[in-house]
Amino acid sequence: MAIFRRSFLTLVSLLVLLILVFFLSRLTGDPSYLFLPVNATPEARAAFAQANGFDQPLVTQFITYVQNMLTGDFGTSLRQQRPAIDIALEAFPITLKLAGVTLAIAIAGALVMGSLAAWKPRGLVDRTVGLTSLAGASAPDFWVAITLVLIFSVSLGILPTSGMGGIAYWILPVIVLGLRPFGLLVQVVRGAMIAALSSPYVKTARAKGASETRVIFVHALRNSMLPVITVAGDIAASLMNGAVIVETIFGWPGIGGVMINAILQRDFAVIQATILVTAIAILILNIVVDLLYGVLDPRVRAA
Amino acid sequence: MMQLNLRGATAIGLVLGALSLAPAFAQDAAKITIVLPEEPPSLEPCDAKHSSIGRVVIRNITEPLTMLDPQSGEVVPMLATEWQQVDADTWRFKLRQGVTFSDGTPFDAKAVIAAFKRLDRTDVVCNTKQQTMGGVDLTVTEIDPHEVEITSSKPSPILPTMITVVQMSAPSMDMNGASRQPVGTGPYKFQSWQPGQQITLARRDDYWGDAPVITDASFVWRSESAVRAAMVAQGEADVALIIAETDATDPKMDYAYPNGETTRLRIATNVPPLNDVRVRKALNMALDLDALKPIVGDEVTRAEQLVPQNTDGFDAGLKPYPYDPAGARALLDEARAEGVPVDTQIDIIGRDGIYVGAAEMLQAMQAMWAEVGLNVNIRMFDTGNWLRYQNRPFPEPDAPLLGQDQHDNLLGDASFTLFNKYHSNGVNSMLWDDQVDQLIIKGENATGAERTQAFQQAFRRIHDDLAADIFMYHMVGYTRVGPRIDWKPTIATNSEIAISEMKLAK
Amino acid sequence: MSQIDHSSTPLARPAKGRGTMRILRALVQDRAAMIAACFLVLLILSATLGASLLASHASGVNMAMRNAPPQLSGGWAYLLGGDNLGRSLLARLVVGSRTTLGIAASAVICSMVIGATLGLIAGLRSGIVGDVIMRVTDVIMSFPALLTALIVLYLLGPSVANLVLVLAITRIPVYLRTVRAEVLEIRRRPFVNAARSMGASEFWVVRHHLLPLILPTLLTIASVDFAAVIIAESGLSFLGLGIQPPTFTWGAMVATGRAYLTQAWWVTFFPGLAIMLTTLSLTLLSNWLRLVTDPNQRWRFAKGGK
Repeated sequence: MAIFRRSFLTLVSLLVLLILVFFLSRLTGDPSYLFLPVNATPEARAAFAQANGFDQPLVTQFITYVQNMLTGDFGTSLRQQRPAIDIALEAFPITLKLAGVTLAIAIAGALVMGSLAAWKPRGLVDRTVGLTSLAGASAPDFWVAITLVLIFSVSLGILPTSGMGGIAYWILPVIVLGLRPFGLLVQVVRGAMIAALSSPYVKTARAKGASETRVIFVHALRNSMLPVITVAGDIAASLMNGAVIVETIFGWPGIGGVMINAILQRDFAVIQATILVTAIAILILNIVVDLLYGVLDPRVRAA
Repeated sequence: MMQLNLRGATAIGLVLGALSLAPAFAQDAAKITIVLPEEPPSLEPCDAKHSSIGRVVIRNITEPLTMLDPQSGEVVPMLATEWQQVDADTWRFKLRQGVTFSDGTPFDAKAVIAAFKRLDRTDVVCNTKQQTMGGVDLTVTEIDPHEVEITSSKPSPILPTMITVVQMSAPSMDMNGASRQPVGTGPYKFQSWQPGQQITLARRDDYWGDAPVITDASFVWRSESAVRAAMVAQGEADVALIIAETDATDPKMDYAYPNGETTRLRIATNVPPLNDVRVRKALNMALDLDALKPIVGDEVTRAEQLVPQNTDGFDAGLKPYPYDPAGARALLDEARAEGVPVDTQIDIIGRDGIYVGAAEMLQAMQAMWAEVGLNVNIRMFDTGNWLRYQNRPFPEPDAPLLGQDQHDNLLGDASFTLFNKYHSNGVNSMLWDDQVDQLIIKGENATGAERTQAFQQAFRRIHDDLAADIFMYHMVGYTRVGPRIDWKPTIATNSEIAISEMKLAK
Repeated sequence: MSQIDHSSTPLARPAKGRGTMRILRALVQDRAAMIAACFLVLLILSATLGASLLASHASGVNMAMRNAPPQLSGGWAYLLGGDNLGRSLLARLVVGSRTTLGIAASAVICSMVIGATLGLIAGLRSGIVGDVIMRVTDVIMSFPALLTALIVLYLLGPSVANLVLVLAITRIPVYLRTVRAEVLEIRRRPFVNAARSMGASEFWVVRHHLLPLILPTLLTIASVDFAAVIIAESGLSFLGLGIQPPTFTWGAMVATGRAYLTQAWWVTFFPGLAIMLTTLSLTLLSNWLRLVTDPNQRWRFAKGGK
């Protein structure tokens, strides 16, 4: 029952989001300035507005948008003059793949390194892991990206500069994209683990003679997953919205870059289509995260 | 983490290198890759003035009737072999014979009519017409299959120049949205487009002109200049179009060339204190623009007018305002004494990224103006908002504004600049001066020396008498060309890259 | 057991004289935390005193020293090199620290406080209030920050306050969802139920049981967010939202240096390093604080920090 209620409420947020995006994005300026030449006359602007329906009242435009959406027409890109939803759906799988791989590696790495760090707080491992992961997490991403390209592609010549292809093409984008998630997650895992390691059930497990490895990776880890999953969910959501820097520097045509360009270009149909696609992904993700809480701790039943 | 990952990546990279999984960069001898700053939105020939479209399409896939020689600025034959003016608004063009489109359709008068019709479509934005022909309507009629007559709705003494921008697209192309598969008469035909990744072209065997050397070309795009430059350094690409001056570090590969762009700050000449010519001159004299050149590129030259050399109407006799802070202060004091509100805050309407170093340039100018006691404030905008300030009706018409601006006139005639930018009725103009208006109109309706002189006088008045702009630079572009290719960029390179002109290096 | 421990944590009850002394002593014992604390004190001094003292060195144009490399000759000014207009990088780092810390701290604190408060409410009230809060969070998470920025710019105009608003709004969800998740879990623990059944008010339970447990995670996220917010700020300044030259932040310094990465690495490196060190210090200190204030961890200090 809860899941139906939750899904229904999620649909309501999606609807609210679409309404907000539709009306608010149209407040950000007249696209004719961007799509007509700089010497276009006011008459030409009026003709442009009319041809694209911008001369209609906003409410009328919205009704048309919804009506068309029900027939599977999500609007036409002003810039590319083709269906906006095609543009969004071409780009999304690329983002999904890149984000998925990056997040999986970051989470796995963070669980291991964070646990090791928590095992002996302020020990050598803790210090090393803490310093390096935080340095990575707080370094400007474009700086890291370009520096890595200059080192590994230009100086050493062992990795391609950019583009999509085999494993070699994944290495640099995944590293750059993963630094911040990894740095943040290591800290969160470490914090939660320190708390869990000193909690009653771990003490009980120790008292019963469980091995230290088992204590750390089974008892403590399981009980410290709650904040980790929450933060990982938030990171995943921000990756869905696009890893703009990585996408643009490495030439991965993902949805983040498409969305940013559409916003800057006032290409409303594409803004709406990309947000629709990523929002559905993010909303599903949030439901999954909430369900995971229940799996990990049966006492928690998300409302 | 960074160090850990670096080490990890090195290890993985070495392994990959050993297994030679890293991409093989050696390319087929006559196959090249060109890396552009952005993906074209479409390949619609009627919107080829959009430079990201033009770079792929113009003179590769489609060709115009006439073209401008980038060196001399003269109009030379392309798909039209010769032309003559019949009367004030009518010209006749003889068409090249034996030319076919890549789909097999013959190129003839009917095809020309269809191509010009494509400009008139209203379902998609076709900037070519709007941008270069203003309000002029062109009608094409067939004289015989190999000759057309073009009539303009008002006298057009430079019609052969105007139509250099009209691409001859095949009549078979449909009018459904903006084309992503153009068909033309050019030496290459469109092969494939993987959205977001690359566009490929292949050489035609039945091209009417000399067969080009390069057989296949792919266009890819990366928005980061450093990455574009690295791709050529690495052999992943052969041409990196428009890299930043700071990335043009290899004299063997990097070319600097005038790119036809001219920069200025447009002054709101009707608002106090900017309506006082002494203040405008002081603004110009307070800037040490020669010293600031390195910010935008060492090779830039000072501009006294908004068109580059080789443009009909360019006045080589104009001299830039000297760097003279003392003189600037004196002018300001004089104006202040007469009650001009010199100390009012002046706002710059800027746009980050309009050219490389744009934001820093404004900061440097701001600092120099502060030295002479002017209170100048910078307001940055994104492109969409910045453009609002470019056009009438102007937002904030009563504010003393300086608008950061860059203009290109690649058409070789000052008329494409003067009216819009300086005439009292020009959509981008913040100047209201009868004498300038008259000179512009006089020049537009004249030909030969009379035209040239009228435009030159207009530029002289704008610069010397009115100081209507903060005059800045004729800009340069930088493009990196890999060692496999023998080719040099020109003033036209930012908007068109003729692959047929590229040779393989010996 | 643990219910007693938690209600007596110094975080929950502000440390009195002896507590402060104990914390200070612990600080001196922990070298890393001590260095972090010193760095932050230095930073605060630079943002207050330094920024006023060096203001004149951070502006103007000196093309002769454009992108000058770090050097010992010529006094302290070019110790870290010159920037793209030949201004002293060191002076600009100091002067920029004021705006940077001001904006980042306001944004991070705003998002943390608002997010945590709403998260608490959503966690404690599972009815319609909780639903509304969580679904609004969904909307915020799906709304691109750039669009938020443009909209705020249009509706409210450019100002530093609005910049902070945009930065804060976009970061609220992570705090909110984290706090809510923890509350959902913790409020089912025996000691909370025990406190409730003994007649403790909800506020008391939040203040004495929930906050001390949630705060460490919040502080960790906030420390790392600090860097993200500074970088994001520089990404928004090109829209005209917020800081405009001649004022600047470290983020803006990093962003302008981007073009010179291949020629003059120091122009981006030093402001980047400053951001990194600040983040690092904040995290080290918050990690240390959690250890010192957590009674379950005190044994580590008792045994000499092992």
